[in-house]
Amino acid sequence: MIRAIPMDLYAYCLCQEMEGGLLETVSGVAGAKPFGLPYEGLVAVVSELAGGPITVTRENVLAHERVISHVFARTTPLPFRFGALLRPAELDNYLELNRTALLAMLARVRGRAEMSVKIIAQPGSAAVAQDPCMQPSLRGEGLGQGAMFLAAKQRELAETRMIEERARETASWLAEQLATVVKDTCVRLRPTGGLALKAAHLIERARLEEYRERLGLARMERPELLFLTSGPWPPYSFCDLTTRSHDR
Amino acid sequence: MTSEDLEHFAENELSLLETLDHVLTLGLVVAGEITISVANIELIFIGLNLLVGSTETVYEVLGKRLQNLDQSDLSTQSPSR
Repeated sequence: MIRAIPMDLYAYCLCQEMEGGLLETVSGVAGAKPFGLPYEGLVAVVSELAGGPITVTRENVLAHERVISHVFARTTPLPFRFGALLRPAELDNYLELNRTALLAMLARVRGRAEMSVKIIAQPGSAAVAQDPCMQPSLRGEGLGQGAMFLAAKQRELAETRMIEERARETASWLAEQLATVVKDTCVRLRPTGGLALKAAHLIERARLEEYRERLGLARMERPELLFLTSGPWPPYSFCDLTTRSHDR
Repeated sequence: MTSEDLEHFAENELSLLETLDHVLTLGLVVAGEITISVANIELIFIGLNLLVGSTETVYEVLGKRLQNLDQSDLSTQSPSR
């Protein structure tokens, strides 16, 4: 069981093993010193913090990420989302309740890192203009006010449909391009505005360079798309407990 | 957004946006124990599509807080006349 601590705990991440002294040189949220709390095969990286809400400031967000990155440099942890402030008994209960699922997730991400890809499709592209729905009459030419309103709505729907279709097509194309190097994928289609999709790829650390090369080739193949890539990250997108059932 | 728009963001700014996007919207969640407040909204509200998720999260939190504040105001308001 976790030892009793009178203050609240701010949780950064979970891992399975941690070298002694790993956290000695890093400071956490509000300048607090992080440390590892062992719990039956898991180690929770936390720091003590007086109660109250955690303010979203640049300093606090970066401190959260700094501690996780520090651990990530040695092993692949499961990061907590910013703001996980809980009482020791609550952390204890969380770990007890989810222990098996958390260990399974740690096994899944072991030796791996997350790479992030955001793809932005430029709105108003030729693809939309070529949509058969976009007849001259639907652009409102030579119509009365009511018909113009309906034409505008129809145009809006047609554009949305095209963007959604393009987002799905882009996701499928990207998955195909990276299939040999990606171990797991988490894709969120964002067919609004210009952002077509957000993808997170789980990659073996040893194959990150190969991943970058393949992504580079893919980018050259689709110059009409804007890519924003970042990483390696701790596996933020691959630790969603809500889709898994509890151990008991 | 065009590539020119993206070029207006320095690498470190994009890096910060990406960090926010990950740290604020992803990761393990202990249900009911997320207690954040927003003191520096401009940090989040950058108006970039990249941050849609983060902005939504912040507004969700802000919305609940404002709602609670409104209710609290209403309950403590004396009838005016």
